[in-house]
Amino acid sequence: MPQGKLCNRQPIKTDEQLKLTLSDKSGKQYYAEMKELDVDTNALWATIQKTMKSRIKTWLEICAHCGMCADSCFLYQVNDCVPEQVPSYKIQSTLGHIVKKKGQVDNEFMRHCMKVAWSQCTCCNRCGMYCPHGIDMGVMFSYLRGLLYSQGFVPWELKIGSGMHRVYRAQMDVTTEDWVETCEWMAEETEEEWPGLTIPVDKKDADIMYTCNAREPKHYPEDLAEAAVLFHVAGENWTVPSEGWEQTSLSMFAGDWECCKDNVNHVYDAIERLNPARVTGTECGHAHRATVIEGPYWAGREDGLPPKPYIHYVEWLAEALREGKLKIDPAKRIKEPVTLQDSCNYVRNQGLKDVTREILSYIVEPGYFVEMAPNKEHNYCCGGGGGFNGIGLYREQRNVALRKKMDQILDTGCKLVIAPCHNCWDAIRDLEEEYEIGIRWSFLKPLIIGMLDIPEGMRVEW
Amino acid sequence: MYELLTGPIMWLVFAISFGGLLVRVVLYFKGLNQQLDRVAYKAHLSYGLKGAFNSIISWLNPVGARAWRKKPGFTLIFFAFHIGLLATPIFLAAHNIMLQENLGFGLPQLPAFLADLLSWTVIVACVAIILRRIALPEVRILTTAYDYLMLLITVAPFVTGLIARYQMGDYQFWLLAHIISGQIWLLCLPFTKLSHCVLFFCSRAQLGMDYGIKRGGLKGSTFSW
Repeated sequence: MPQGKLCNRQPIKTDEQLKLTLSDKSGKQYYAEMKELDVDTNALWATIQKTMKSRIKTWLEICAHCGMCADSCFLYQVNDCVPEQVPSYKIQSTLGHIVKKKGQVDNEFMRHCMKVAWSQCTCCNRCGMYCPHGIDMGVMFSYLRGLLYSQGFVPWELKIGSGMHRVYRAQMDVTTEDWVETCEWMAEETEEEWPGLTIPVDKKDADIMYTCNAREPKHYPEDLAEAAVLFHVAGENWTVPSEGWEQTSLSMFAGDWECCKDNVNHVYDAIERLNPARVTGTECGHAHRATVIEGPYWAGREDGLPPKPYIHYVEWLAEALREGKLKIDPAKRIKEPVTLQDSCNYVRNQGLKDVTREILSYIVEPGYFVEMAPNKEHNYCCGGGGGFNGIGLYREQRNVALRKKMDQILDTGCKLVIAPCHNCWDAIRDLEEEYEIGIRWSFLKPLIIGMLDIPEGMRVEW
Repeated sequence: MYELLTGPIMWLVFAISFGGLLVRVVLYFKGLNQQLDRVAYKAHLSYGLKGAFNSIISWLNPVGARAWRKKPGFTLIFFAFHIGLLATPIFLAAHNIMLQENLGFGLPQLPAFLADLLSWTVIVACVAIILRRIALPEVRILTTAYDYLMLLITVAPFVTGLIARYQMGDYQFWLLAHIISGQIWLLCLPFTKLSHCVLFFCSRAQLGMDYGIKRGGLKGSTFSW
C-alpha cells in the first residue's frame, strides 16, 4: 500500500482529517497502516542533500567512536547501560545508516528509526556537552525526526499534535472564541477576590504581552488566572493577544518544520500587531524553546531574535521580585527541603540557570533549598521531554526513563519539587503516580501567590 | 630512493596533506548555514567567537570540561596519545635537522630520551585505546574495522621510527618504512576521519558559537563545559 488513510506523508490539514485520526483509538489502524507505508527514497535522499550541510555531515564523519557520550545519556543509564542506548550508536545506526545508504532504506528500517528517534532520545542535548568533538546528537535526532515526519513515520499523537497546530494554531482544539471566553471567564472569577483585576485582550502598546500553553485554557484555566493575579499585583500594564497566544509547538517534537514556522509566525504577527514593549511566556520549557530560541530561525529572522524582547516567565518573576513589584512575606516562605528541576529547554538551551535560583532565594527560607546532582546545564531531562510524555506507544519506555529523575529527587531528600516547565511538571507527576515516592511538585505561580505580601485592600478575603 | 622520498615526494605529500586540510576547513565554514544550523553566526559574531574560544579552550584543557574530569583514566590516555603524536614529529631532532637543511630554519629540538619517551607513550596509549575498545561494551558497539585501521596508520610511523632509532634489523629498510608510513599518515589526514585534527577545532567552534549566541551567550550566561 503506498499511503494509508490515516498514516501517510501528508500533514493533517483539515478538521475532518484531524477528527478521523483522533477517532482511531490509540492509533491502532494508524500503526497498522504504517507497516505498509512506502518509503519515498528519492525524496528522502533529495531532502538530505538539500538540508544536510557541513555541521551534521562533519559530526557523522568525525565521531571518534570513543563512547564518551554513553553515560551522559540518562536513557543509557536507566536501561542497564545496554550498548544500544549509547547516543553515538543510536544516531549512527539510524541517521548515519540512511545517509550511508543514500536514502535507500525500507519501511521496516524507517519504523526502527521512529522508535529510536522518539523513545530513545528526548533531544535533551546533554550528550553534546560530553562529546570531545562537540557532536550534539540531540540536534541530529531533531533533524532525523524531520526526515521521518516527511515520510509519514511519526508517532500517532504527534501526527495529531502537529495537525492540531495546523488546524487550530494551538496544540489542542482551542479556538479564538474559546480562548477569549476563557480569559473573560477567568477575569470575572478572579476579580471577585482581586478587585480591579482584568485580563486585557488585544491591548496595544502594553508593556508586556503574555503567551501561554494551550493546555492552560483547555485544562487548567486557573493557571491563566494565577498569571493574571501576579501581573495585577505587580502593577504591570499587560495584555494577551486574541490570536497568536499559543506558544507551544508539538510540531517541533513531531519534526513538522513547516508547521513550526507557521506557529511561530502567528505569534510574531501578534507581536507586530499589538506592539508590546516585550513579551513573556508561561512556565513552559519547550514553548520557550520553540518560540524564542529556535523560532526566529524558522521564521527566517537574520538576527536570530524574536521581533521584541521575549523572556521566559522565570525571568519576569525574578525581575518582579528583585525590583519589589512582588513582595514575599518572609513568614510564608518555604520552610521544608525543596529542590528545583532545571528544564533542558531553557537552562541547557538558553542558559537561564541563575534566575530560577534567584527566585528561590526570595521564596525559600535560607538553608532549605537542596540542589539536584548534577544540576544547571548538566542536569538530566525529566524523563518525558521531546514529546516522550505524550506517546502511548512508548509509555513503558517513558516510565523507565522517569527513574533517573526519581533517583535524583530521592537523593536530595526533598518532598517538594519546583518544576517551572509543563513537560517536567507532567513527568514528575507521572513518576509519583508510577513509583509513589511521596513527593509533591509545583509550578512557581501558585507558590508565589500563596506567599505574597499584599498591600491592604488589594485582596478581598472571603 | 631515500632522496626521492625525502625530496619531491615529501613536498608533494605535504602539499596534498596541508592543502587538503585547508580545503576541509574552508568547506566546513562555507557549509555552515545560519538557518539550518539555527545559529545567527553573523549577527552576533563577537558572542560567537567568545563561545567558540570557551568551547575549544575548555576541551584542550584536561580538567577544563566536566567530561574529562569524570573520566580521568581515559583522559590521561587520550591526552598522552595526542601530545606524543603531535610533539614528537614536530620537535624531533632528526626532523628538525632536515628542516634546517631544506628551509634554513628549525624548531626547538627534543632531547633524545624525551623523544623516546613520547614515542613509547604513543604506542602504549594506542594499545590502551585498543584494549578499551575491546573491553568496554559501550565502545565496542561503536568500533569498526575503520577505527582500527586509523589507529594502525597513526601508530605505524612511531613503531617503524623506534625500530630504526634502536637500529634493530636493517636500518635502511626501517628508515624507509618509517618515511613511507609517515607519508601515508599525512596523506590520510584530509581524506579520512583523521581530518579531526582540524575539524575538531571547527566543530568545537561551531557548538561553542551555538552556545555563545543562541543557547545562553546572548543572555550573558557563560556555559560551563
